[in-house]
Amino acid sequence: MADVTFDRVSKVFPGGTVAVDDLSLTVGDGEFLILVGPSGCGKSTALRMVAGLERISSGEIRIGDRRINDVQPRDRDIAMVFQNYALYPHMTVAKNLAFGMRQHKTPHEEVQRRVKEISEMLGLQDLLARRPGQLSGGQRQRVAMGRALVREPAAFLLDEPLSNLDAKLRVQMRAELKKLHHRLNITTIYVTHDQVEAMTLGDRIAVMSAGKLLQVGVPQDVYDRPDNLFVAGFIGSPPMNLLAGTAAGGVITAGDLVFARAGVRDGEVVVGARPEVLRLVSEDDPGPGFGVSVEVVEPLGDEVLVHGWVQARDAGVRIEVEEATLLASDGDRGAPVTVRLAPQVRPKPGETVHIAVSADDLHVFDAASGAAIR
Amino acid sequence: MSATTLNPAAYVDPRTLPGEVGMVESPRKRWLPFNIWHLVLFPMALIMVVPLLWVLVSSLETLNQTRHFPPILWPGTFQWSNYPNAFNAAPFGRYFINTTIVTVTVVASNLLLCALAAYAFARIDFWGKKVLYFLLLATLMVPLQVVLVPTFLIVKDLHMLDSLAALIVPNLANVFGIFMLTQFFRTLPIELEEAARIDGAGRLKILFTIVLPLSGPALATLGVIQFLWTWNDFLWPLIVIQTPTNFTIQLGLMNFQSAHATDTNLLMAANVMSTIPMLVLFIAAQRWFIRGIATQGLKG
Amino acid sequence: MQISAGRAAVAAADEAKHRRRGDKGRRPGDSLAGWLFVLPSVVLIVIFGLVPIVWGFVLSLQKASLISPDRPFVGIDNYTKIAHDPLAIQAAQHAVTYTFLFVPISMGLAMFVAIALNRKVALIRTYRLAVFIPVAVSTIATGVMFLWLFDKTFGLANFVLEKAGLGPFGWFDSVKGALPSVVIMTVWGWLGFDAIVYLAALQGIPAQLVEAAAVDGAGRWSTFRNVTLPLLGPASLLLMVWSTISAIQLFDEVFFVTKGGPVNATSVPVFYIFKLAFTSSYGFGMAGYAAALAYLLFVVIMLVTLFQFWAGGKMVHYSA
Repeated sequence: MADVTFDRVSKVFPGGTVAVDDLSLTVGDGEFLILVGPSGCGKSTALRMVAGLERISSGEIRIGDRRINDVQPRDRDIAMVFQNYALYPHMTVAKNLAFGMRQHKTPHEEVQRRVKEISEMLGLQDLLARRPGQLSGGQRQRVAMGRALVREPAAFLLDEPLSNLDAKLRVQMRAELKKLHHRLNITTIYVTHDQVEAMTLGDRIAVMSAGKLLQVGVPQDVYDRPDNLFVAGFIGSPPMNLLAGTAAGGVITAGDLVFARAGVRDGEVVVGARPEVLRLVSEDDPGPGFGVSVEVVEPLGDEVLVHGWVQARDAGVRIEVEEATLLASDGDRGAPVTVRLAPQVRPKPGETVHIAVSADDLHVFDAASGAAIR
Repeated sequence: MSATTLNPAAYVDPRTLPGEVGMVESPRKRWLPFNIWHLVLFPMALIMVVPLLWVLVSSLETLNQTRHFPPILWPGTFQWSNYPNAFNAAPFGRYFINTTIVTVTVVASNLLLCALAAYAFARIDFWGKKVLYFLLLATLMVPLQVVLVPTFLIVKDLHMLDSLAALIVPNLANVFGIFMLTQFFRTLPIELEEAARIDGAGRLKILFTIVLPLSGPALATLGVIQFLWTWNDFLWPLIVIQTPTNFTIQLGLMNFQSAHATDTNLLMAANVMSTIPMLVLFIAAQRWFIRGIATQGLKG
Repeated sequence: MQISAGRAAVAAADEAKHRRRGDKGRRPGDSLAGWLFVLPSVVLIVIFGLVPIVWGFVLSLQKASLISPDRPFVGIDNYTKIAHDPLAIQAAQHAVTYTFLFVPISMGLAMFVAIALNRKVALIRTYRLAVFIPVAVSTIATGVMFLWLFDKTFGLANFVLEKAGLGPFGWFDSVKGALPSVVIMTVWGWLGFDAIVYLAALQGIPAQLVEAAAVDGAGRWSTFRNVTLPLLGPASLLLMVWSTISAIQLFDEVFFVTKGGPVNATSVPVFYIFKLAFTSSYGFGMAGYAAALAYLLFVVIMLVTLFQFWAGGKMVHYSA
C-alpha cells in the first residue's frame, strides 16, 4: 500500500518519438486514478513505465518513497491487468492465479489460501481446473484481475481491461471494479480511452494528450471546469459545443451570441457551452442566445438531443483530436450544435429555434493556446 | 475566421515499435557500446558459415597451398584458374544443363498439376473424393526406401532408365504439393469464385483467372521448396542414372570427388560451382523458403 | 525427401474439419469435373506411388533381383532372415545411436539459436541468413566440405583443435569417431531448418505473455521454463517426429562420405538396403530381402512416430 509519484517523467523512443512529455502526477495511497485520453496520448506508456515494461527516459517514478527507475518489475510490488488479459494458455486458472506467488516463493499454504480467497471474491471457484481457452471473455477478464489481486500488490495497474468486453458486460464489470476497490483499497492506476469509464470509475481523472498531462482532478471538477479546449471537448458526452468568436473590451461575440466577460484580453476566442445548459426559448428572449436550424432530433426516452447548425455561419470551429474530429465546421453550414432538452419539448427537423444560455454557464478559451480564460 | 487545431504529434503504439521481441526491455544499465547478444550471435553465425568460407578459400589456392599444414587461411594471390580447370575436368556444363532441365520441368509440372488437383479437393465435391484423399495421404506416410526398388523396376519397364525422363516423370506430381495447395485454397474466400460461377465461368477458368492469381505466396513457397528438393536430390538419381552425360550436379560432384580426391583445390572449386546456384536462389528467395519451412513446422 | 507421418495426420484432421465447407452439395457434372482435375496427378501418383508400395510388399515375399524377371516366392523367409542377420542388427544399432545423438543435439541447439535470433539488434537479418543458409547446401556438397574440413592432415578442424590443445581427431576415419562426425555434419546441415521452425514459433508467442510473467515476478530462466518452453511444445513435437524419421532414414552422407565405414562403423539401415538391392556386395538376387528390410523399417518408423505423438500429446498443450 503506497502512493505512486511521477516526477517529471518523460519517455522518448529511439527514433525521436516523444511518448510521454514531462509528466508529474501523484496517485495517493488507495486512490483510484484514471489516465484517460485518445489513442496514442501516452497513457499506456506511462502505465508501462510504472510496471517496468518501458525504460524511463528522464525523470523519476516513486512507489512510496522508493525510486523504482532501475528496479526490475518483479521487485516493484506491482501487479498488472493487460488489455488482452495475457493469461498463460497452457496453465489452469488455479495455476495462473498461483504463478506470481510461486515466483516470489510464497509458502504453499499461503498460496492456497489466497487463491481460494480471490477466486471466491471474483466468482471463479468453479473454474479453477479449466484452461483459459475454455473460458468466456468475461471469465478470462476476471481471472486476469484475480491473478493481479492475489499478489496483494502495493499498486494495481490496469491497461484498458474492459475494452474487449461487450457493452453489457462492460457496465457490469465497471460496477464490480468499483466494489472491489472499495473493499480492497489498493492504489490503482487505470488506463482507458473511454471517457465514460473515466468519469464513473475514478476518484480522480488525469486527461492526457500527445504525451502531456492536460488536467487532473475529480471527475466533476474536470467536467465543470476544463482547463483547456482539448479537455473541454474530450470529456462529456455529447461533447461540449464550441463556437469561434472574438473578444473586444470585455464583450465576447460569437456569431449572434453576445455576452460580457471580465478579464478577457482582446483577440480571438472560443466559446464553449455544454448541451445541457442550452435552453429553448422564444425569439424575443432578452438573454444571450443564438439561432439554430435543427437537423436531427434524437428522442432518448428521458431526454431529447437536438442536433443542428448555428445560424451565424462564421461561428464554426475546427478541432481535431486523433480518432475523432470533435467538431468540424462545414464551410457552408457553420458550427454544429447539440442541445439537451427535457423530453416534452421537441422541435422539428428543419425548424429554426432560438437557444438561450446564461453567461455564467459559458466557457471561454483562448483561440491560440486553447487555455481556459477565467 | 480562425481554426483552432490541437493535433497530437504523429504517434505510434509503443508495443509495435522495434524492441526485443518477446523479451522485456529491462531497466538495467548498458555495459557495452553494443547489444550484448552480438557476443552470442556473431560466433554462432561464424561457426555456421566457416565451413563454406573454408571451401571458398581452398578453392582459390594452389594445390601446394592446400597441402600445407598449418592450413593457409589467406592465400596471397587468388588462383582463379582452378575454376575453369575444374569445369573442364568434368562435363560440368552438361551436369548443370541436366539438373536445370529436370528441376525446372518438375517444378513447373508440380505447380500446374498440384494446383489442378488441389482445386478439385478444395472446391469440388466428386464421387470417391474422401477415399482418394486418404489414399494419397497414405502414400505420404510410406518412406522412400520401401518404394525404391519397385519404382526402379517400373522405370526400367518403361524404358526410361538412365535418362532424364527417369528423374522427371516420377516427380511430376508430388503429394506434398497437393496437400499444401489444398489447405491454402481453402483459406481463400469462396465468394469470389461463386460470383464468377454465377457470371458463367467454368471451373478451369476460375482456377486460372481468379484462384491462382491470389495464390502467389503459396505457389512461390511450393515452387522454391520443390526446387530445393529436386536440385539437391541424390539417392534417386544415383539409382537410375549410370551414364555420366546424364548425371545431375550432385552425381557429378560425387564423381569428381572420386576422380580428384587429392586435387583439393579443384575439388573445392567444383564444390563451389555446384553450390552457388542454390545459395543464390536461397538468398534471393529467402522469404519463401523460410515461409515454407516455418508453416510446415507450425501447422504440421 | 520424406514427409513425416505427422504432416499426414494433420492434413487428415484439416480435411475432416473442412469437409463440409465449400462443397455445397454435389452438382451434376461435378464428379466428372473433379476427376478430370485430379486425373493427371492421380495417374502419376498411382503409378509411381501406390503401385510401388504394394509391389514393394510383394517383392519382400520373393527372392528377386533387378535384372532377371524370375522372382520365386519365398513367403516370409526374407523377414525371418532379418533376425539372424548381424549386419541388419548392426545397422539398426547404428540407427539408434545416431538418432539419439542427432535429434536432441539438433533440436536443443536449434532452440538456443532461435532464441538468440529472436531479437531486433543490428545485423539480425545477416545473422539469420548465416544460420539458415546451410539448408540450401546439398548433402553431397556438405559431404565434400566436411571431408576436407575433417581431413586428418590438412583439415581446418584438426588445426583448430591442436591450437586448443586437443589432439588431432580421426573424424571419418576413426572407428569410434565416424558416427559422431556424421552427427556433426548433419547437425550443421539441419540446424537452420529447425531454427526456422523454432523462430517462427517463438515469434508466435505474444509479447504480453512474457511481460505478464515479468510483472508476476518470473526471472529470465523462470519465464523460459514456465512460459516459453511450454508454448514451444507443439513445434518441438513436430520437429522431434520429423527429425527422428529423417535420422532413421539417413543415407546420402553415409554413402558418400564414409561408405558405411570404417569397418561398417557407420552402416545404417537404408545404406544396407541400398547395397543389398543395387550392388552385388552381398550377392545377387537380394532385392527381395532388401524390400523386406525396407518394410520392416517402415513399420518401425510408424510405431516410433505413433509413440512420439501419443507421448508428446500428453505433455503438449495446444493453446486455444
